Amino acid sequence: MTILQVDTILTLVLLSILFSFGSSRLPRLIKLVAFQGIVVSMIPFFTGHDMTLEGLVFTITTIIIRGIIIPVSIYTAINKVDIKREVEPIIGYHASIVCGLLLIVAATWIGRQLNISAIKDYTLLVPTAIALLVAGMFLLMSRRNAIAMLLGYIVMENGIYLVGTAISVRVRHIVEFGILLDILAGVMIMAIILQNIKRTFDDVDTAHLRSLKE
Amino acid sequence: MVEIIFLVPFLTGILAFFLPKALCRSLLIGTGALHLIFSLLLWEKRPEAVFNYYFAISPEGLLSLLVISFLFFLISIYAVSYLKESDIHTENVFIGFMLLFLSSMTMVTLSDHIMVLWIAIEATTLTSAPLIYMHRSSASLEATWKYVLICSVGIAMALLGSVLITLSMDIGNVDVPLSFSAITGVAGKLDPFWLKAGFIFILVGYGTKMGLAPMHTWLPDAHSEAPSPASALFSGVLLNCAYLGIFKTNKIMHAAGLGHFSGTILMVFGLMSILAAATFIIKQNEYKRMLAYSSVENMGIIAFGTGIGGIAVYGAVICMIHHSLIKSSLFLSSGNILLGYGDRLIKNTGDMISRMPKTFLAFFAGFAGISGFPPFGIFMGELFIILGAFRAKHYIMAGIFILSLCVIFAGFAGHVMKISFDNSKKTIRLKEKPGLIWPQYILLLTSMGLCFFIPDSLYQTIVDAISAIGGGF
Repeated sequence: MTILQVDTILTLVLLSILFSFGSSRLPRLIKLVAFQGIVVSMIPFFTGHDMTLEGLVFTITTIIIRGIIIPVSIYTAINKVDIKREVEPIIGYHASIVCGLLLIVAATWIGRQLNISAIKDYTLLVPTAIALLVAGMFLLMSRRNAIAMLLGYIVMENGIYLVGTAISVRVRHIVEFGILLDILAGVMIMAIILQNIKRTFDDVDTAHLRSLKE
Repeated sequence: MVEIIFLVPFLTGILAFFLPKALCRSLLIGTGALHLIFSLLLWEKRPEAVFNYYFAISPEGLLSLLVISFLFFLISIYAVSYLKESDIHTENVFIGFMLLFLSSMTMVTLSDHIMVLWIAIEATTLTSAPLIYMHRSSASLEATWKYVLICSVGIAMALLGSVLITLSMDIGNVDVPLSFSAITGVAGKLDPFWLKAGFIFILVGYGTKMGLAPMHTWLPDAHSEAPSPASALFSGVLLNCAYLGIFKTNKIMHAAGLGHFSGTILMVFGLMSILAAATFIIKQNEYKRMLAYSSVENMGIIAFGTGIGGIAVYGAVICMIHHSLIKSSLFLSSGNILLGYGDRLIKNTGDMISRMPKTFLAFFAGFAGISGFPPFGIFMGELFIILGAFRAKHYIMAGIFILSLCVIFAGFAGHVMKISFDNSKKTIRLKEKPGLIWPQYILLLTSMGLCFFIPDSLYQTIVDAISAIGGGF
């Protein structure tokens, strides 16, 4: 039963959202996002599209980049520059988890309403994608630590990837290419910036980045 | 071979990282000149692209391309004089990224494929981020961080929007290449619900880059922290490039008969931007931020005009061209002020009319132009937009529009008067060399000239471009 497989895997993604909302330390958050990235990248194996050689290469590359390269590089970055490990929430962890639950319920409801014929077989696909998008936004806005914000951005990208792979069979590879390019370049640049934030402010708390207003 | 026009600055940009200073400077101007020649050739010949699956020449793209080339050439002349006076040490990095930035923006204007356009706009973010960080201060770092983060989120939204448009193709059982021209041809068959959703995401995504409120928050910081030649490029052409993405998607919407829907949204975002600019411009204390908010205002005007349709779209395109010319001249003049007074705050400047008379002339004329006074072209553009709004019976919106323009003018004028005529004890450290003055004069003169006389081919191109989104007389 292909259908069950995809939905089971997607449950893991939904759980990872809840865990990520509740985690207070950066290493844990990085691991969760890595796990989420691997799981999301594996979806094309199960959605039953014909897997060409090209598609196989792309999927495996995505798994390697999302699951290994990006998390490892962020991990080494925080070790090297000795960044604070707290994610410094603006919204507390318990409140965040409640928000996460509400978000998943809302996403499921919206997913039901949308009713996209191309992917009717996978009940959880659209809800998970929506949940990932909003969860990424939530992390971006509710955490003050710059790396936590970066991870929020990656969660959001995971959501778009899920939409892209699942819904649009046609553009799949271009979507993948675009996201890979984006993430790679974005992470590299952000890493450089982070290094400099660290050097300039002795900290990556973005609360220091509040002098430019209006 | 159309592609050569963005390959050349790409290659020279990479080359610039390895060259000594003096060579870099001539490379910058040389590439600018070459780019301008290529653009004019392209304008005349309008050839087919080699990779015509991904690239194509469209009237709106050609318009932006010509503006980019012309501006870049003049800005490169200014930049060379500016670099001699300023304290930027990594000059070849600056020049290299300027050229890469030019290359990515050129690619935006020529791309026809939805994903290629998206990648090109993403590339403009990546190549321009280092330009903001040139002064290496903590404020410029903050501006860069904001710019990269906010624009990445925006660009992600635009990607989602692009994916949703392909979904509308799948549901409508349309099998054409994923290019704007092909999709516009079959737009009637697309699924309207997902097309609308896609448009909203693309508008929010590219709108972030274009500086539409409430996604404009990166813009004042980036513009004020970047060195002035880079700010001029940002305001003059980068914002137009993002607008081009919205413009092309809007074409699909109009072809699908959803022009009213997209128009309404554009009008709302446009008015919000104008209102946001009106609120913030009054109490600005830095002149470069003031100019940046004026850009937010003008992008709002362009979106508003595009949304109304009819003659207002013509006005919007006129505004776009003249905003590029005038605003980049203002940013270049603001570079002179910064070099002269060594300070960004309005209160620490003053008496520019006798200290820097030539810069004063350029700055004041630019101010008059951007506020919509004749003989500069924004006057015509805004007039057409207001006319269009009345014709389409959007009386309330037109009222808000006119009122906000007045407020912005009042705020802007107060600051400009202070800079120009107030007393100041500062000693000016800058000699007004021709390279620091003439680019602005030429930009302003071009705007003036285009107000009175529009060449036939230019007029025809504008009409071709706007006829697809419900514009015309």
